[in-house]
Amino acid sequence: MDWNAFLDGFGVVTQPSNLLYCFIGVVIGMLIGVLPGLGPAATMAILLPIAYNADDPVSAIIMLAGIYYGAQYGGTITSVLLRIPGEASSVVTVFDGFALAKQGKAGTALGIAAIGSFVGATISIVGLTLLGPVVAGYALDFGPPEYAALALLGVLLVATVGNGNTVKALVAAAVGLLLATVGSDSFTSADRFTFGSLNLEGGIDFVVVAMGLFGVGEILYNLEERHGKPHVPAAIANIWPSRKDLREAGPAIGRGSLIGFFLGVLPGGGAVMASLAAYAAEKRIAKKPERFGRGAIEGVAGPESANNAAATSSFIPLLTIGIPANASMAMLYAALLVVGVTPGPQLIDERPDLFWGVINSMYIGNLILLLLSIPLVGIFVKILRIRPAILAPITALITILGVYTINNSVFDIFVMIIFGIIGYLMKKTGFEPGPLVLAFVLGSLIESSFRRSMLLFDGDATGFVTRPISGTILAFVVLVIAMPLIRKAFRRDTPEPTSAETEPAPREDSLR
Amino acid sequence: MRKQTLSLAALVAGAALALTACGGVQNTAGGGSDSGDYPTGAVNMPVGASAGGSSDLISRQISRGLSDELGGSFPVINREGANGALAAAEVAKAKADGSTISVQNASLFAITPLAVPEDQVTDIADFDVVQGVSRDDYVLVASKGSGFTSIDDFANADGKVTYGTTGVGTGAQLACALTFNVNDTPAEAIPFDGGAPALTALLGNQVDTACLQVGEAIENINSGKIVPITVFGPERVGFLPDVPTAQEQGLDVEVAQYRFMTVPKGTPQDVQDAIAEAMQATFETDEYQAFNEQNNLTPMEIPGDEVVAQLEEDKQRYADLVDEYGIDLGDAS
Repeated sequence: MDWNAFLDGFGVVTQPSNLLYCFIGVVIGMLIGVLPGLGPAATMAILLPIAYNADDPVSAIIMLAGIYYGAQYGGTITSVLLRIPGEASSVVTVFDGFALAKQGKAGTALGIAAIGSFVGATISIVGLTLLGPVVAGYALDFGPPEYAALALLGVLLVATVGNGNTVKALVAAAVGLLLATVGSDSFTSADRFTFGSLNLEGGIDFVVVAMGLFGVGEILYNLEERHGKPHVPAAIANIWPSRKDLREAGPAIGRGSLIGFFLGVLPGGGAVMASLAAYAAEKRIAKKPERFGRGAIEGVAGPESANNAAATSSFIPLLTIGIPANASMAMLYAALLVVGVTPGPQLIDERPDLFWGVINSMYIGNLILLLLSIPLVGIFVKILRIRPAILAPITALITILGVYTINNSVFDIFVMIIFGIIGYLMKKTGFEPGPLVLAFVLGSLIESSFRRSMLLFDGDATGFVTRPISGTILAFVVLVIAMPLIRKAFRRDTPEPTSAETEPAPREDSLR
Repeated sequence: MRKQTLSLAALVAGAALALTACGGVQNTAGGGSDSGDYPTGAVNMPVGASAGGSSDLISRQISRGLSDELGGSFPVINREGANGALAAAEVAKAKADGSTISVQNASLFAITPLAVPEDQVTDIADFDVVQGVSRDDYVLVASKGSGFTSIDDFANADGKVTYGTTGVGTGAQLACALTFNVNDTPAEAIPFDGGAPALTALLGNQVDTACLQVGEAIENINSGKIVPITVFGPERVGFLPDVPTAQEQGLDVEVAQYRFMTVPKGTPQDVQDAIAEAMQATFETDEYQAFNEQNNLTPMEIPGDEVVAQLEEDKQRYADLVDEYGIDLGDAS
C-alpha cells in the first residue's frame, strides 16, 4: 500500500471546500434517510448535475458518497421511533429498537445505534483502506451456488428473529417466500401470480411490504388500542445510553462491524444478510435470549453496526473492480464517469487523489454524522411525545409519500395499504411481520441463485457440496439444524422443559 | 445549545433545498424559447429503468439539453419494471400534447416480444418517434479462466459453454443465444439481473462467457481481466477497434441496442419538431459529446421515421433468426 498517497488523500479532504461538500452530503443523506422511500440512489440522481458544475470533481464525488452513507444513519430513526424500516437492512433494528422506544428508551436505542453505526463504518473503512483489493477477490469467489447456500442459511436464521411462537414464525416466513415469487419469472418471463396486472410484472417492492406490515399495521393497531383502553404515554427518559448500556452493547458493536464488513462486500443481499446474521449471532450468544424482541440493546447495536459496515464495504467492488453493488453505487459509478473517470482496477493508480480523497472523506464524514446525531437524538425522541391522534396521520403521510417516491406509482400505495391491513390482522393473531419480510427479501435471492446454480451444474446438485465455500456454508446449515436435536438426545433423561405453547412465555428456540 | 442545533439543521436543510433546486430541475423561466410556445409547463420524462443505468443517464442528459434549449423543466421520472413496458404504457396513455415524452429502448419493441406473452407486447404504433439518440453495442466477453480468445476456440470446448446474460428478453441474451446457435456450439444461458452481476460472475470465472453492453465491460477489458471475443454491431465499435464483428467472423448475427425519443401517438407536429430541433442542438454541444464518449455510446442521431423503419426491420430479422434456429428466449413466448 502506498502510504504517501493515503496521507495525501487526507490533504485532499481537509481542504475547506471539500469538508463543506462532505458536510452537505452527509446531512442531505441523513435527512433523506429519515424519509423512507426516497432513497439515496434517487437523491444522487437529482444531485448528479453538481458533478458537472463543481470546480473540483473530487468534491462532488465526496458529497455523493456522503449522501449514501449518511442515509444509513437516518434510516434507523424511523425504524426505532415509528416502526417503519426504510430499507431491508434495517428491518431487524425494528424488533428491539421499537420495543425500547415503547419502554421510553428511544434515546438509548438511537444513541447506541449512532455509536454502533460510527464504529461499524469506521472499522469497515479501515478494512477498506488496508484490505480492499484482497477482499474484492474473495467476493468474486462467491458464485450462484454460494449465494444459494448463504440465502438458505439466512432463511433458517429468520426463524430465530421472532419472540413468539416458532410455528407462527415459520408460517409467516413461508408466506414471505410465496410473496417473493410474484411477478415475471426472471428465467422464463412466465407470469406468476400477476393476475394480468402489468404493475405486478416486476414483483412487489420490499419497501411497500415492509412499510405496510410494520408502519401502517402499527398505526391501525394503535388506533384500536386507543379506543379500547386509555393510552398510557411512555415516559421518555434516558436521552443518553448509560454506562451499563454501553458495556452491554460494546461487544455486539464489535461483532456486528466485522460481520458487516465481510458480508457487505457481496453485491446483492450482502447488507440484509449482514444485519440478520449479526442479530442472530447476538441472540445466540446472549445469556438470556428471551430478552430479544422485548428491548435488548444488543439487538439494536449488532445489526446497526453491521449494516453501516456493510454499506461502507460495498464501496470495495466499485472502487477496485468497477462493479456497482447496488443502485446507489451505480449512481456513484455514473458520477465518476461524468468527471471523466471510469471506476475499475486502474482507478487507484490513475487517480490516487480521487481514490484516497473519497475513502478518507468517509472517516471524516462518519465523524460528522456521529457529532450531528447525538444532539439530534434529543430532538427526535420528542416525536414520541406527540399525541397519537396527531402522530398517526403524520406517520401515514410519511409512509404514503415514501412508497410513492420509490417507483412514482399510485398502485404501490394501494398494495401498501393492503399489507397494512394484513399487518394489523397478524398483530391481532400473534403473527410477527419480521420473519415474513425477511423471508420475502431472501426468497428471490434463494430462488434465482439456486436455479442459476442448477443451470451451471447442468442439473447435477452435488456441485453445491463439492465447491469449498458453498460446501462449508451448507455444513454450517446442517449443524444449525442438527444442534437442538443432538442436545435433546443428550438431555433425554432430564425433565422436559415447560411447554412453549403459552403465548408470552419464552419460546423454545428450535435453532439453539 | 438545542436552539443552536436546530438552527444549524435548518441552515443545512435550506442549503440542501437550494442545491436541489439549482442542480436538479432547472425551472428557469427564460431560456432560448425560439420554437413557439412549447413547453408551457413541466414536461415529464418517464424512464423504464432505475436510477444509474445507461437508459436513465441518457434520459437525464437529454433532459438537461432540452431544458437548456427550450427553457422549462423536463423532470426524469424513474418508472422501473417489466423491461420498460410500464413506462411505455404510461407514455402511450398520456395526453398527446408534449407534456409527456420518453426516451425508449429498441429492445422493448424488437426483442422483448420474443420472450413475453402476447398481451404484454409493447407496440411502436402507439407512439410517434421523434428522433434517434444513440447506439449501445453488445460485446461477447470470455473469462480468463475459460481460455477462450476467439469464436473458433468454442469448437474445442469440453461440455457446454455457459454464458451469462443481463436478463430474459434483452439484447444481450439474444446476441449470445444467436452466436452459439449459429456457430453450432452447445451452450447454456444463465440469466442475471442486469449487467453488473453478470460481469461479477464472469470476473469470478463462474460463467465461461457473457454478453454485456460495451460500457459495462470496457474497463475490465482494457485492464485485461476479461477477453473480448466479438461485437455485434454492423461495424466495429470505436471504443474497441481491435475486436472483430460477428459478421467478420462469418456469423450472421447483428444485434444492437439503440434509444430514441418517443411521444404519445398524435402529438402535434410543431411540438415534435420543437423537441427534435432542441435535441439536435443538444447533440452539437461538447458536453453531450463528452457524455457519449464517457459512456461508450455511438451517436445514432437519425430522424424518427428512419428509427421506425430500422425497428421494423430488426424485429422481423430477429423473429426470423429465432425461428430458424429454434431459439426459445422465454418459455412464455
